Amino acid sequence: MLSASSSHKTNEIAVSVRGLGLTYTTAIDRRPTLKARVKALGRGGKQTRTIRALDNVDLDVEYGQVLGVIGANGAGKSTLMRVIAGILPPSQGRIEVFGSVSTLLALGVGFNPSMSGRDNVFLGGLAAGMSREEIENNFAEIAEFSELGDAIDAPMRTYSSGMYARLAFSVAATVRPDILIVDEALSTGDAKFKEKSLNRIKELRSDDRALILVSHAMATLRDVCNDVVWIHKGKVIQRGEPNIVIDAYQEFLQVGKSAAIDEDV
Amino acid sequence: MSAPLQVFEPFRAGLPPLRRYWKSLWSRRTFIAEYSRSELREQHFDSVFGQLWLVLNPLLLSAVYYLLIVIIQGTSDSARYAHLTATLFLFYLIANSLTGGVKSITAGQRLILNTAFPRIMLPISAVVIAIFKFLPTLVVFMVIRIVIGLPFTWEMLWAIPVLILTILLALGLAITISCINVYFRDIASFLPYLTRTLLYLSPILYEASALKANVRALEVLNPLFPLLDSWSRTVVHGQAPQSSSLLQSLAWALGVLIIGSYFFLSREREFAVRL
Repeated sequence: MLSASSSHKTNEIAVSVRGLGLTYTTAIDRRPTLKARVKALGRGGKQTRTIRALDNVDLDVEYGQVLGVIGANGAGKSTLMRVIAGILPPSQGRIEVFGSVSTLLALGVGFNPSMSGRDNVFLGGLAAGMSREEIENNFAEIAEFSELGDAIDAPMRTYSSGMYARLAFSVAATVRPDILIVDEALSTGDAKFKEKSLNRIKELRSDDRALILVSHAMATLRDVCNDVVWIHKGKVIQRGEPNIVIDAYQEFLQVGKSAAIDEDV
Repeated sequence: MSAPLQVFEPFRAGLPPLRRYWKSLWSRRTFIAEYSRSELREQHFDSVFGQLWLVLNPLLLSAVYYLLIVIIQGTSDSARYAHLTATLFLFYLIANSLTGGVKSITAGQRLILNTAFPRIMLPISAVVIAIFKFLPTLVVFMVIRIVIGLPFTWEMLWAIPVLILTILLALGLAITISCINVYFRDIASFLPYLTRTLLYLSPILYEASALKANVRALEVLNPLFPLLDSWSRTVVHGQAPQSSSLLQSLAWALGVLIIGSYFFLSREREFAVRL
């Protein structure tokens, strides 16, 4: 599914999101238990809450675009990425994805911390629908890019968060999907790796690929993106020229610091 | 897949398109194989001592239970020991599927949050792991059988359909419990009591024929009862299983598998927000 197959022309639509709304119900407890549920029977306490994560979002991403996604924490950025990747089903609207998506988001690898980095890369790739040969062909490059050395065969619970991020980014950047979503993977890692991954992102920019970067690193986004969308409380606030949107967002953040940022807009 | 167009639309309560689901599950069968292999390797079952432990653990258990039987009943014979080991080993196939399956979804959080794939792969993998742990014990049982000198008969081939039914039931149970555990995380801590109860309610420490008729009537409620009885009849006594037991097992296995999978499939797209 991740293999870059067909050639897409610039300005062809890669992702089309129409009227997307997402509401979900989740448990209030981090760890919902039967015991808590039974206890609450007498008191009639609420066990779940409903979250409106995305509200009437329209978004088109074209091939050749590098789209930055910005917004405060909890704005719905990651949720939007998960909907585009097919991980979460939308509540309203329609999403069309023309091409293969790299669904290795923020920390897609490392699903079983007691297994080695190598096993996790294989399992993550297989789960994403790649064939064993595809992963084997890419593995050397992944290992080299991540610069983990022998640690690649150590259990992932021994990894630091920076090492996690390195491996995750290496996987996402090495398999060459039509549409690559990188969710905040650039923010961890040391300066050297940050620069290396930034260069990789620049390399990956091409006419037949669409990149979507979720990040809080505004300078990076100004540098690499040719389009930026600002999401706030599940809504698209502004979209367009990176410098303009980022300036508006940063101005909003400044204002937000003094005024009530939590108020519904 | 070349030139894929994927459309994601709201899903109404109910099942995903089954053919597409099956296709996507089938295309990921290497994941199940690879996952089981790395899991077993991680638990050191690829080493000599790991394998030995896999066999030693149920053997020691059966020795303890055999001691219990001898003390309580006063007497016992070698066929009784064969019955105990055979049924206990099969019971552990189901118990391991349950203990492996219960946390398969909650432990796969990272993968579920970041990758789109048929979630049912995870409990299926847990059952595959349990099968791999079961196979060496089957060999041990055959050795025990030869040492004791029980005769081999053609009727023993009935063990194959009985084993298939057991695996289907184990699949159904693992799928169901993995789904329940997403909503009630304490099911995992409750599970040991459940399996222990099932162990005593099943014809393992005793033979099904030893039960009073009124107690046996209640055993239709225990999905493992007809399976373990049939298993003992075929592999220990070399007889064909009762057709009523087989039909009962079939009904249980298919019932649990279909209802459990329905629950799982209709809820799995919600897992990502529930973890």
